[in-house]
Amino acid sequence: MAQGTGRQVVRQVRGFFAAWRLVLRITAANLGGRLQYRGDFLTVLAMGLAWQTSVFVFVAVILTRFPGLGGWSASDVLLILAIRLLAHGVVVTVFNSLLLTPYIAQQGLIDFYLVRPMPVYRQVLLYQFPLNAMGDCFAAIVLFAVAITRLRLHWTPATVVYLAAAVTGGALLEGAVLTMVSILTFRRTIGMSVFMWFDRMIGTFGNYPFSILPLAARAALTYVFPVAFVAYLPAAVLTGRIASTGVPAWLAYASPAAGPLLYVGARYAWHRALRRYESGSG
Amino acid sequence: MQEAIIPNGGVPSRLRAFLLPWRAARITPLTELTQAARLVPPAAMVATQLALTYWLWHALYAGVRVSAGLDVAQATTYAMLGVLYQQFSTVDRWSNGDTMVQLMTEGTIAFWFLRPVSARRYYLIRAVGDIAYGGGLALVAYLACLGIGAIALPPSWPAAGAALITLVFGLAITYYLHLVLDLICFWSTVNDAAITAVQFATGLLSGAFAPLWFFPGWFRHVSAFLPFQTTLNVPLSLYVGRLPASALGIQLAVQAAWTAGFALFTWWLWRRAAARVTVLGG
Repeated sequence: MAQGTGRQVVRQVRGFFAAWRLVLRITAANLGGRLQYRGDFLTVLAMGLAWQTSVFVFVAVILTRFPGLGGWSASDVLLILAIRLLAHGVVVTVFNSLLLTPYIAQQGLIDFYLVRPMPVYRQVLLYQFPLNAMGDCFAAIVLFAVAITRLRLHWTPATVVYLAAAVTGGALLEGAVLTMVSILTFRRTIGMSVFMWFDRMIGTFGNYPFSILPLAARAALTYVFPVAFVAYLPAAVLTGRIASTGVPAWLAYASPAAGPLLYVGARYAWHRALRRYESGSG
Repeated sequence: MQEAIIPNGGVPSRLRAFLLPWRAARITPLTELTQAARLVPPAAMVATQLALTYWLWHALYAGVRVSAGLDVAQATTYAMLGVLYQQFSTVDRWSNGDTMVQLMTEGTIAFWFLRPVSARRYYLIRAVGDIAYGGGLALVAYLACLGIGAIALPPSWPAAGAALITLVFGLAITYYLHLVLDLICFWSTVNDAAITAVQFATGLLSGAFAPLWFFPGWFRHVSAFLPFQTTLNVPLSLYVGRLPASALGIQLAVQAAWTAGFALFTWWLWRRAAARVTVLGG
């Protein structure tokens, strides 16, 4: 009995590693495919970098023109931006292909995915190599390095773990939103703009301390569109500004958990929705 | 072909034959309006973007009266009109499989060269339809914002007139920029990177991300040599009164020069592109 269980565990572990090997092979093939268009490859790489740098430039300009944003120092605001960009880099690396689900569904590719021996969700994630992720991640790491050199944080193992949890949580939160929106493509024709809605909202407003916003906007960006959980609340915890957020302290401390919770919910919703998938070919 | 359309060769028939292809301008509005559900996300998106932009700029100006020559009403109006421009200056054709890159990869671009309307004219007609549709929605949003007092009126009638004239030229330059991007597909098949590059440049250098007046002097000097700032920064600066209406002459001359340059360049590109249409590798 124990021997049988042991064999089953070994089989599962082997299966797990085999699945990851396959993921890496497909990713390598996708990268090779994108490298065929070398001009496109280099431009996307440069643009990812330039795009995220422009966000930094803009925030720097705003911080210079309007110092003491909501009582936050420039370096503290930079921490919000750094956490958001790092989380966004992870999102682009892992979840970028979800943006293409309108096209994938329209082309009837989901029909093929359903009959292959790999989860449909994973196949969608592996649809295209996210070239822009390289530029995004590089810019995020550079900005993060700038932010931590200017911050006067007392670094402890707990702080480092919390920061890593915040970045992971922020990425999973964005991933959850993309997953939920991609479900719509199973039944309807939707445009990219729906995906870009939340992305733009985080990109535009997720870089500032929400304490500068009126109460209604703050509440909406915390409890309706959980933008605050991506970077603002974790940064408030790390910089000791929980009181200025207006949310209960336990919620601010637990903010990195919002992403994983929402992501699990989104994956469950995806799984349920896939059963009601209507093929583009009828 | 023209003879077949104009049996009598009379003026009304000629006019009708001239106007007949312009029915294609209705394609985008009809596509969008027959799928009313697709209107909801952009409407919700623009409403949240406008509300957040309004709150953000008012919050930034909480402790400052004038910055970069703009007071709170001017900066908010500029930023909100920038949101409207970004949202409505282009229409998402991607989910309809109607972008140039999709036409190239699917080979349907061949039909553009088999119709009794030249590909160049057909492109113009479709773009005019897109701009009219987006402009109509933008006008509704503008009037709503004006009605609730979120956006200020121009300081004078001459300023309003100058803003309107330069906006027309700005839209023409935007049209040519998109045309150049689409024509790139005839050489490179894909234009994702080029589109990202121009989106970045347009967003940052036109003032759509934030009023250009907030950026450092060197940045504004560089952008003055590029076409992007003429598309949005010029009309908006005239609208809010940051540029006097007396500056119309010089601004108009710059815009006219860019428009003429692009018109010549794209005319040449169309000739080269039409001579090298590649459909499915053949």
